[in-house]
This record gives sequence, C-alpha cells and structure tokens, in this order.
Amino acid sequence: MIIHSIKLRFLYLTTALVLFFSVNSAIGQYNALHIPDTLSGTTFNLNMKDSFVQFRTGNQTITAGINGAFWGPTLIMQKGDSVHMNVHNFLNDTTTLHWHGMHLPAVMDGGPHQTIPPGTIWQPYWKVTNNATTFWYHPHLHMKTEEQLIDGLGGFIIIRDAAEAALALPRTYGVDDIPLALTSRSFNASNAFTATSAYGDYEMVNGTLNPEVTLPKQYVRLRILNVEMERGYNLGFSDNRSFYVIGNDGGLLNAPVSVTRVKLMVGERVEILVDLGPDAVGSTVDLMAYNAGFPLGFPGGEPNTTGPFGSLLNNINFKVLHINVGAATAGAITTAPTSLVTNTYWTAADATVTRTLNVTDGTPGTPFYFDHANFNLATINQNVKLNNVEKWTVVNNNIFGHSFHIHDVQFKIISRSSGPVSSYESGWKDTYYLQIGETVSFVAKFDDYADATHPFMYHCHMAPHEDGGLMGQFVVTDAAGVAATEKANTDFTIFPNPANTKIYVTFADPLAQAYYIRITNALGRTMYMLPRPQLAGGIDVSNFARGTYYMQVTDEQTKQTTTKQFVKM
Amino acid sequence: MRHFLKTMLLLLPAFALLSFVANEGKSVNDFSLMNTNGKNVGLKDYPNAKGFIIVFTCNHCPFAKLYPPRLNELNSKYQALGVPLIAISSTDTLLYEEDTYPMMVAKAKNEKFNFPYLFDEFQSVAKDFKAQKTPHAFVIWKENGKWIVKYSGAIDDNGAEPAKVKNRYVANAVDQLLAGKQVEVKETKSIGCQIILRK
Repeated sequence: MIIHSIKLRFLYLTTALVLFFSVNSAIGQYNALHIPDTLSGTTFNLNMKDSFVQFRTGNQTITAGINGAFWGPTLIMQKGDSVHMNVHNFLNDTTTLHWHGMHLPAVMDGGPHQTIPPGTIWQPYWKVTNNATTFWYHPHLHMKTEEQLIDGLGGFIIIRDAAEAALALPRTYGVDDIPLALTSRSFNASNAFTATSAYGDYEMVNGTLNPEVTLPKQYVRLRILNVEMERGYNLGFSDNRSFYVIGNDGGLLNAPVSVTRVKLMVGERVEILVDLGPDAVGSTVDLMAYNAGFPLGFPGGEPNTTGPFGSLLNNINFKVLHINVGAATAGAITTAPTSLVTNTYWTAADATVTRTLNVTDGTPGTPFYFDHANFNLATINQNVKLNNVEKWTVVNNNIFGHSFHIHDVQFKIISRSSGPVSSYESGWKDTYYLQIGETVSFVAKFDDYADATHPFMYHCHMAPHEDGGLMGQFVVTDAAGVAATEKANTDFTIFPNPANTKIYVTFADPLAQAYYIRITNALGRTMYMLPRPQLAGGIDVSNFARGTYYMQVTDEQTKQTTTKQFVKM
Repeated sequence: MRHFLKTMLLLLPAFALLSFVANEGKSVNDFSLMNTNGKNVGLKDYPNAKGFIIVFTCNHCPFAKLYPPRLNELNSKYQALGVPLIAISSTDTLLYEEDTYPMMVAKAKNEKFNFPYLFDEFQSVAKDFKAQKTPHAFVIWKENGKWIVKYSGAIDDNGAEPAKVKNRYVANAVDQLLAGKQVEVKETKSIGCQIILRK
C-alpha cells in the first residue's frame, strides 16, 4: 500500500513537472511563462529542496527549488506586518536565505553567517518597514552562492502598502502585474546545468525557457529582476515603444519616467508600466535585451560564444519574453498616473561620514577584491554608528563592470562620474550598475537595527565575483548602549523536562534575553536555529523524535553560550 | 562576541569542489559493509562473479528515488550471468536522517530490493571508488585477481521517464564485457545529489 501511494505521488509529481515546465524542443516553439505561486499572510513556510525538471528533451535537469522544483513562491507582505519565516533546509547542502532589499536586524538577514545545515529549521522574523516594492530572496552561502543560484533557489517578495494601494496601478498578480526573473542557463550533454561560463546560452524567465505570455490589452506592470550570474540586460521592446519606469529596488518613484531602454544589472529590480492598449488583440510584441554593440566591461558584452566568458547570447540582441496581446480585463488600467509617491531622499549634505571603496585586483584569471582584501568571514571591514547618514563612494578603476549591493539599507545614488544619474534610477536603490572606469556615490541612513556581533554585507552581486571575494561586511553599533549597562545574570532554566510538546526557557534575570538558540539532537544534528526567539509561547518540539537534545542559548548582552540538556518524550 | 561568530563559522561546510575524476581503468578494493539484513557483504562473498554493478545511491535524493525498479531489473538479469548488483549508501547520515541505517532497512523492505543495500558508514568505499553523486554506477570486472573499473557514471540517460531511455549505459557496458568486447562508453557524468564527504 505504501509503495503504491509513493509511486502514485511520483507519477503525479512527474506529470505536474512536465506540465509546468514543458519541453523546449525546437527554436520558435514557445513555452507558457511560469508564474510563481504566491504565499501571503504573516507566517511563511519555505522548504528548500533538491529536485529535477524536464527542461529539455532527454534526461531531467537536477535543480533545487523552494516549495517546488525550480525557483520559489512569491511572498506577498504588507508594510507594518510582523512576518515569521520557517525556512526548512531539505537540500543536499548547507545554505542560507537572504531577504534582498529588506531592512531588518542583521541576525535575521540570512547572510553568509546564518548558515542553515541540512535538515534544520531557521526561524527569522521581523517587522516589514519597507515601502511597497519588489524584493527577492536567495541563498547567500559564501563561495556557494553561484552554485545554489544556478540550481534555481530564490523567489520574489512583493511588499504592499497604503500609498501604493491608493494609486491606479495594475496589481492583479499574474494578470496585469507580472513578476519576471531573467536569467540564462547552459546545459551539458546529459542536460545538467553547467557553470563553465559566467553566462548561460539559453534565456530563461521564471524558470521557463523560450517563454511566452498573454497579457491584456491595457496598461500592464512588469516587475523585472535580473537573476543572472553576471549578465546585464539593456531592456526594451521589439517595436521600440516607450514605457514607464515606476519603481526602483526600494519603492515607487515620485513620478513615472518614460524610457525606451532600461539597463538592469544582476540583483537589480525595476517596475515598469507598458501600454498594450493600442495593440490589437492577437498581435505580439517581444521584450528584448538589446545587448549588441556594448564594449568590453558591459557584462555580457564579450564577443566570444565559448570559453569561461562565452555565451550564445553575448553581444547580441535577443528575445527575453514573447508577449501575445489578449482581451482587456474588467477594471483595466488605461492611463498611467502622472505622479506616484512623495519620496524624501538623502542628499550629500545630509551625510556626516564618508567612506570610499576601491575595486582592486582582478587581473585576468584572479578574483576582484575591495581594497586588496579578500572577503573574510571573521573580519569586520566597516563600523557604522546607528543612525548615521553616510556617503559611500565606490571607485571602479578596473577592467570590468560590477553590480554593487549593500544589505540593510535603501540608498539614493547622488553621483556618477560617467554623467548625470538617469531619472529612471532616481528612486530608492539597494543595487546599482558600477560601470568600468566609473565612480559612484550614494547616501543612506543606517537606522533601527544595531548589532555588534552579526554583520551586514556589501558586495558585487555577480555571483562569481562575490564568491571570489568581492565582498565586505559592516556592523551597525549603538554607541550609547554598549558600555553603560551591567552584565545581566545569564543563567536560565528549561522546563518541563522531559518535554512533550513545548519547552519553555526562563532566565534567572528578567532583563536577560536570548540572542540565539540552537537545538541539536544527541548525534549533533541541528534541529532548530532561532535568532532572537520570542520565548513567551515556548518552543514547539512536538515533531521531535524521542531522545536527548541540547539547547545552546546565546545571551543577548554577553554573547556567551550556555548549553543545557533536555529529554523529549 | 567573536567566539559566537567563530562557532557559526565552524558550521560552514567544506568547500572542496569535486572535479570530474576519470575512474575508468583503475582498480578498486574489496570491502565488507553491513547489508540491511544485518549481515556483512563484500565482493569475496561472490566467488563466481565475473564482475559487479556497484551503484552508490541513497534514500533521500529525489533522483536516486527514481531508480530502484531499474536496479531490481538489472540485478535479476545480470546476477544470473555472473554480474551481481550491489547498492551502497555513503551519504552523511548526520546530515540526512532519511539515509540512516534503520531507514535503509525500511526502504529495502518496502521497495523489495532484490540486491544488497550496504551501509558505508565511514564513507570509505565511496572514497575508494571516488563516487560523486547518488546514483553513481560503476561496472567493475575481474582482471588478474584485481577489480578494474570498466564503466563509471549514470545508470542510463533518463531518470524520470524510463520509457524514454535511449542509452542504457550500465546494461550496455555489462553486455559488452560479457561478450568479451571493450566497453564503448566508459565514462558518463553521474547525475543526482552530491555525496558530501565528511572530513
């Protein structure tokens, strides 16, 4: 009976996979664009697991997905909500999960320090304070980021808020509001993904090769993410129509900006409005990458089709998404708003601290570094005081372009040495294109979350570059709080012991708090990783097998770790 | 406070990237590992064997889960011809509870394995063979008293859709060896979950 049901489930799964990711057999034959499922509410269960997908004729491709076989669900969050994540690592490897763009405590950030061993549940939580926008989540395990991204791990986050909801914008997910994760992949003879080049040979959107989608004859909103390893996109439409940029990485612009091309580097997002109203039902238009003619330094501008930086898509114009125009929907948006939201941006005059980073090294065949220092997990490169407004300048007098990203904050680009800052990137940003030979400055405020222990990252978002060491880390510290207070008594008790469903932790000193709790079983397998756990309701151990467990509690103030044993019955 | 970071660092896995290792032509050692019936099994337990199909597999890997019926078929056919199949699980059981010995016993019983399913607790056999993925198949043949690898790689070229298999790599290799011929395809890439070797 058991075998039977497993087999049935497998048949079902395989059929579902084949239906979802239909085989890309011939050029010119489109596959329906996959629209990721959505999860909403305040508790998000994310299961990271190995899987496989029928991408091409022949053998399946080994992949990894979140709640699915490739890529993950779109998480829809409301500004002001406290969200709780249950991240369960069923992968064949350690991983991390980073909430790209989100302003949150460093210990919840999912950077390279918050490693989740296989089989472990990691439970970060935070209050969503960012404005309505498009973020994403992805693994950030140092030196493994490229491999895990290629496997397919990641997903979109859409934040909604009242200011955005008040605007007449398309927001029916999957109908007139479409997430597009742009990337490319190469395959070997057995259809496995290869990483021999930094650039894939075949364009892939939301995990669909050669995709097409039918969009209604009205204003349509596209939330576009570059989730390549290195390639940049110079996006436009096949008939050169103009379209509006309405949002950058961190939220809506003050007003829509009309453009015909937008450059989008790895990790960046852009929200655009495109008017399909004048198009006839049944007509088509393509979203294109106009990547032909770029000089060396533009990622993907290389002329070669093979080798470590070769790709069939290099330095050519290629199709990203084939769009069929369908009938308009009820309640269609037929005009673009003239203004969006009111942003108050930082200026250079607001900054009280200035920092400069230089992209160095990277002679052909060697990794890039910031200021000649390889990334080191044990080295804090920058100390930022809480509530500082700072101006950071990144100098790229080097041989290639980069995509600079900083965690924790949304910033305002104030200058580019190559010329004026384009109005289409005038909004809140967390990632930007740092061109070859260019110096770019931005201003940001580092507020709300201080933590002298857990750092935030800044790095080039091109995965081979960050894995190679083009990354640094900073801590945000609260000057007032550190020296002033006495050390609390960090002793604690756990009860009931033996425990059946829940175990409670009580500190001897009511002022003491847990910074981190890790529960391991008798073999040393990690069961739970709980950053700053909310302990009032107890810790649920009902799904643990009977046996002895160890609870390691790291105290918030002293960062000392104490281990106690308990029995699950 | 540094101490805390250090303990976090210790949890990072080994970053050794396994490259594609040519296995064909090398010799491998006999072993003795516990089968799911509690008895140890090794190559010397088959005095009349001309060769073996050794498949490194495991319980947890989605791709490995596709193959047990095909492993049963391979063993039914080739054991009678003097080439038995032995499956070995070498994955790190500290990482994958599903791959622990009691769960191997349950899987062998539930899926009616007609071949030994051995527990390589210390990953020593996987290291000797340089097994990389689950499943990773080897065809070994007896030459001058030694066990020589004649084929290393995938079992066939389609995991999820057995009906669409075009190249039965393992079966072809065994057929060719039984016919006294050279193996045509000596090496393919094994596909599946990485066998992460503990230090």
